[in-house]
Amino acid sequence: MKLKILAGIAALILAPAAIAQSGERIAVFTKNQTNPFFQVLRMGADSAAKQMGATTTHLIPTKPDSIPEQMSLIDDVVIKKPSAIVFTPVDVKAMVPGIQKLNAAGIPVVNVNDRAEGGKFVAFVGSSDHALGVATGRYLLQALGGKGSVIIIEGVKGSGASAERVRGFQDALKEFPQVKLLASQPGNFQRLQALQVMENLMQTHAQIDGVLAANDSMASGVIEALEGANRKSQVIGINGTKEAIDAIKAGKLLATGDYNGYLQGCVSTMAAIRELRKLPVPKEVIFPPTVVHKGNYQPLDVPLESRSCPKWEDVVKEAAKS
Amino acid sequence: MNTLVQKIHLAPEQRSLLLRVIVLLLIGAGLALVSSAFLGANNLLNLLRQASLVFLLASGLTLVILCGGLDLSIGANVALSACLAATVMKATGSPLAGCAVGLASGLLVGAVNGLLVTRVRVPPFIATYGTLWILHGLTYWFMAGDTIHGFPPAFRFLGSGYWLGVPVPVFLMFGVLALGTLFLQYTTMGQEIYATGSNTEAAALSGVPVLNRRLLVYMLSGGMAGLASLVFLARLNSAEGDMGEALTLQAVGAVLIGGTSLFGGTGTLAGTLVGALVLTVVLNGMNLLAISANWQPLITGVIVIVSVAADALSRRRSGD
Repeated sequence: MKLKILAGIAALILAPAAIAQSGERIAVFTKNQTNPFFQVLRMGADSAAKQMGATTTHLIPTKPDSIPEQMSLIDDVVIKKPSAIVFTPVDVKAMVPGIQKLNAAGIPVVNVNDRAEGGKFVAFVGSSDHALGVATGRYLLQALGGKGSVIIIEGVKGSGASAERVRGFQDALKEFPQVKLLASQPGNFQRLQALQVMENLMQTHAQIDGVLAANDSMASGVIEALEGANRKSQVIGINGTKEAIDAIKAGKLLATGDYNGYLQGCVSTMAAIRELRKLPVPKEVIFPPTVVHKGNYQPLDVPLESRSCPKWEDVVKEAAKS
Repeated sequence: MNTLVQKIHLAPEQRSLLLRVIVLLLIGAGLALVSSAFLGANNLLNLLRQASLVFLLASGLTLVILCGGLDLSIGANVALSACLAATVMKATGSPLAGCAVGLASGLLVGAVNGLLVTRVRVPPFIATYGTLWILHGLTYWFMAGDTIHGFPPAFRFLGSGYWLGVPVPVFLMFGVLALGTLFLQYTTMGQEIYATGSNTEAAALSGVPVLNRRLLVYMLSGGMAGLASLVFLARLNSAEGDMGEALTLQAVGAVLIGGTSLFGGTGTLAGTLVGALVLTVVLNGMNLLAISANWQPLITGVIVIVSVAADALSRRRSGD
C-alpha cells in the first residue's frame, strides 16, 4: 500500500517535469523593451510557440541595445541550455563572438530581423530594409505624381537599418528624376528630434511636398511639426506600428512600410522548433516588402492578442516569391 | 575684449555670463549671414520653443548642481511622469488630472532622490544613477512596449499652443527663469543654496540647514522634470517608454555650458538659458545649412567647447 502511495506521489511530482521536457524551450533574444516593434516580434514568437506546443523565454537587455548586457545574457544561456535560440543582435558586428559561443555550445540559432555579420545560423528570417525603403519611397513618389520636392529624415548614423532604408529611398528617387531632394537630415529614430529637425527645415524650404522618414516614430514627429505649422506634406514611415496604422486611418500618414514584426517573431520561432523536430527549414526567409496604406491596412488593424501565426507553408511560399 | 570687460568691473559671474552671451550672438550672427532663414520670426520662435524644453529640465538641475549635487535621473523622471500622466489622461479624459499626476510623480521622484542623498547619505551620482535605472525599469514594465497617443486639445495647448503669437512653452521658460532668479538671488533660501554648494561645512556652521536645502533642490529638480514631461507630452502628442533618453545629457550640457560649476556655488539660471540656446542654435544651424549627418556630432562638440573657451581662457589670464 505504502509503495503504491509513494509511486503515486513520485508520478505526480515527475509528471509536470515530464510534460515540460516534451515542449521545446526557445530562448528569444531581442534588442530592448522600449521599441514597440520588438514587443510585437515577441508576441509573434509566443504565439508560434504556443501553437506548436513549445515554450519561450525572453532575454532582453535592461539598458536598450546594450552590447555588454546581451553578451552576458548569452553567457547565462550557454549554461541554462535552452533547446534552441531565436536571436536579434543589438549590433551586427559586435555580437559575432557571442554567437560563436552559442555555436560552440551546440545550441541551434535562428537569426531574426538584423542579419549578423558572422556566426552560424540555421536560418535568417527578416525583412529587407533596402527593399522596404524602395517600395515605400516609390509609393510616396507615385502619390506625388512624380514631381515636386521631398526631404529625407534619416535614422541613427551608423545603424545598418537606417543606412539601408535611406539607400532604398534614394534608389526610389532615381526612378523619378523630376522630383527634387531638398535635404537629408538625421532624426536619430527619435520622435522629438524628427519634430525639431522638421521645424527647422520648414524654415528654409517654403514648399515641401513629401517627407520620407526612416521609421514610424520619426514620421509621427514630422506630422506633429507639420500640423503645428499648419502645413501639409505627404509623409511615409517604416515599421508598420499600431500608431502608424491609426495615423493612416486618420489620413495623416500616407503609408508605412510593413516590417512584419509579428510575422518575423512567428516564423523565426517556427523555424527554430522545426529544426529541433528535424523538419526542413530554408536558409533564408525574407518577407516581400509590403506598403500599408489607406486601401489595405484592415488586416493589420486588429489587436495583437487576436492575431495568430500563419501556416508555415504559406509563409515560405510568399517569401520564395520575393 | 577682456580688458574692456574688466574695466567695466563686472563680478566674475556676470563677466562669465556676458562672454557666453557674446559667443551665442556671434554664432547667431554667423548663421544669419550664411542662411537667410535664420532670422525669420518663425525660426526664432521655434528656437525659443525648442530651447524651452531643455531649459525647463535644466533649471531644476541647475539648482541641484549649485547646491553641490547632481541629478542624473531627470530624463528617466520625464519618461515615467509623462507615461503616468498620459495613462491617467486617457483613462479619465481630464487634462487636469493628467497634469496633477505628472507633477506629483516628478516631485515624488525628486523627494526620493533628496532623501537618499540627505538621510541615507548615498553620494548624489550613485543615488540618482540608481533611481535612473529604477525609473527606466518601472516605465518599460508599465508601458510594455506600447505607445499612448492622442491627447485633448486643451492639454496640447501647453506644448503646441500659441499665446499672443508666441509659443506657450516660451512663456513657461521665461516665467521659470524670472521666478527662479528672484528666488536664488533675493531670498535667504536661495542664497543658502549657493552657500551650501560653495562650502558646505562653513554654511552648516553658520546655521544653514544644509540637509533641508539639499532635499529642497532635489524636489525642485524632480518637480521641474514633472513640468517638463507635461510640456514634452503636449508637444509630441504621445508617450512611450524611451522618451527623454537624450534629454539628461542635453540638460547637463546646458547647465555646464551656461557657466555653472560642477563643484557647486557658482552659476545662474540665465547662464543655463544661454547654454540651452547654444545647443538649440547649433542643431538649427546644421539643419538650415543641410550639413551632412556625418559632420553633425563633430560640429556640435566643437561649438560646445568654443562657447565655454572664451570664459575659460579669460579666467586663466586673470589668474582665477
